[in-house]
Amino acid sequence: MSVAEYFPMLKQFLPSGLQDPPPRFTGPNGKPVHGLVAQYSAVDPVCDAAEKVRDAGFTAWDLHSPFPIHGVEDVMGFKRTKLPYISAIVGLTGAGLGYLMQWWMSGNYEIVVQGKPPTAWEPYVPIIFEAGILLTAFATIGAMFAMNGLPRLHHPLFTHEAFLDSSDDKFFVYIEAKDEKFDMERTRTLLESTGADRIDVIEDE
Amino acid sequence: MSQVADNAYRRQLEAVAKHPAMADENINVKPGLLDMPSNLLILIGIIGIAATGALSFMFNTKHALASYEVGVFTVTAFSLGGLFWNMVFHLVNAGWTGTVRRQLEHLMMMLPVCLAMIAVIVVVEIAFDGVLLSWMGLDPATDHLLEVKKGFLNTPFFVIRFIIYGVLWMILASSLWRNSVNQDATGDRMLTRKSRFMSAWGMPVFALSLAFFAFDFLMAMDYRFFSTMWGVYFFASCALGSIAVTLLVLCILRSLGLLTGLVTKEHTHDLGKLLFGFTVFWTYIAFSQYFLIWYSNIPEETAWFVNRKVGGWEYLAAILAIGHFIIPFLILLFRDVKRHVAGAAILAAWIILMIVLDFVWIVRPMVYLGDMAGESHAAGWILDVAAIVGVLALWFGFLLKRIAKEPLVAKNDPRMPEALNHRNYV
Repeated sequence: MSVAEYFPMLKQFLPSGLQDPPPRFTGPNGKPVHGLVAQYSAVDPVCDAAEKVRDAGFTAWDLHSPFPIHGVEDVMGFKRTKLPYISAIVGLTGAGLGYLMQWWMSGNYEIVVQGKPPTAWEPYVPIIFEAGILLTAFATIGAMFAMNGLPRLHHPLFTHEAFLDSSDDKFFVYIEAKDEKFDMERTRTLLESTGADRIDVIEDE
Repeated sequence: MSQVADNAYRRQLEAVAKHPAMADENINVKPGLLDMPSNLLILIGIIGIAATGALSFMFNTKHALASYEVGVFTVTAFSLGGLFWNMVFHLVNAGWTGTVRRQLEHLMMMLPVCLAMIAVIVVVEIAFDGVLLSWMGLDPATDHLLEVKKGFLNTPFFVIRFIIYGVLWMILASSLWRNSVNQDATGDRMLTRKSRFMSAWGMPVFALSLAFFAFDFLMAMDYRFFSTMWGVYFFASCALGSIAVTLLVLCILRSLGLLTGLVTKEHTHDLGKLLFGFTVFWTYIAFSQYFLIWYSNIPEETAWFVNRKVGGWEYLAAILAIGHFIIPFLILLFRDVKRHVAGAAILAAWIILMIVLDFVWIVRPMVYLGDMAGESHAAGWILDVAAIVGVLALWFGFLLKRIAKEPLVAKNDPRMPEALNHRNYV
């Protein structure tokens, strides 16, 4: 997920390092190719195809189905997400910051409430807890969006008329052109070998 | 109840029975395999409890009874937790529990042993006119705080309440157990339905009886003290401890080569999640109780905690905060620990140790209430070790005897197909 893809309206202002790499392939309409989509009409063929694509070493690809398929994370070769580690590290940081904030505040401006000792640790606990939870929530939501590329308003795949059936009775495997292993001819041959019903080129808009 | 009528269900039972993991040598403990450890544990238990009884006359009855109560309430918490989880799993129709429920049923069927040991406490308290339950020996007219509570805190009502708890728990536990073993024999799936119906009314009954049991036996040791969170505090140990014991038992059985393919890392993972959740729950309950009492600063409430902030008990509190929360919390966060048989077993054993220490922290300072002098010192730790190890060994010994006697899974449970194919997808 590149920055340019996130903010297409900012594309022209971005430095060259953050720009999309130049397109490697050009589609039939003369526009850059975004990817190749293969259509299937049952669960078993699409899972077999996913295994082939996984074993071919693709990383920028996805499988679309009208309903959840049990075990699809295995045939797609999903790895465990790194999100829990981000949550844990940021959460502990938040708890530490919550403690530091109170330590600094009550060190600088001591208020005696109800005759409780100013050094008591007990009142610190809810604030430490809340600060930890708050930063964990922000970090988890933010990192989740950053890692899965959401929210986005549009995707070139939506211009493909047949793809509408992905919410009805058809299954799709989509390989993006930005994948390093992507090659118009060889990827099309791979998808053809999986027995796809049809294969289409998706172009950028 | 009629025999199973529909063919689809009968075919499901046959398919489960033919499953390779359901082979007899996989779901039955070899006769005699657990005899030696269980007999040894029962022997240790009898020696420990006998030593406690003997030392109570030589040194200090109060101290001996307190040490004994630490052990008794720990194992009672484990047994009550077994009853709780059985009812929860029936109520929510938890499919993955098909292969682990039998071990929780063994825990709840240990309740007769616990009730017998609690009966000893009741008899000793009455015979000595209140040892730890000091209100028994006091004239209510001497203390206003006792006077206003005498409608509840009086010996006849106390005994009646204890009998009511025992009867209610035994009705619930033995009915659930009978349904389960009858189902083993007949395969009648209506028995699961009956158990679920029973759990529905049993849950509020259990919740109230558990809370009042904790009030009567643990909170009332200091009759001035009251905490509305007390029942939940005790319940947290019940729910956490029973999961820890079940996990430990299942891991031991797995290491003996039993339950292969029935209790997989998916099941230990889910039990580990419950262990993690209730570790946090215990912390939440224990800290909120302390925090609110500390903040409101009402003398009859704070006295209970003040007694536990002196005389070395403050170090035990710190050990509990670190050992009962921070260490298991940070370790159980990792998915691989929960999915590893040895990792789960070590954590479960650690949690059991911490629950014992929690009860030590609740019960033992009561020995020194008001009078630190004149109590046993040198012989004290012998009493503690003898009583706590004795009671726990006796309970675990009888538990092993039960486990060895019955099939390790409820083999005709309608949830077996789901439990056999259980997987955590995330």
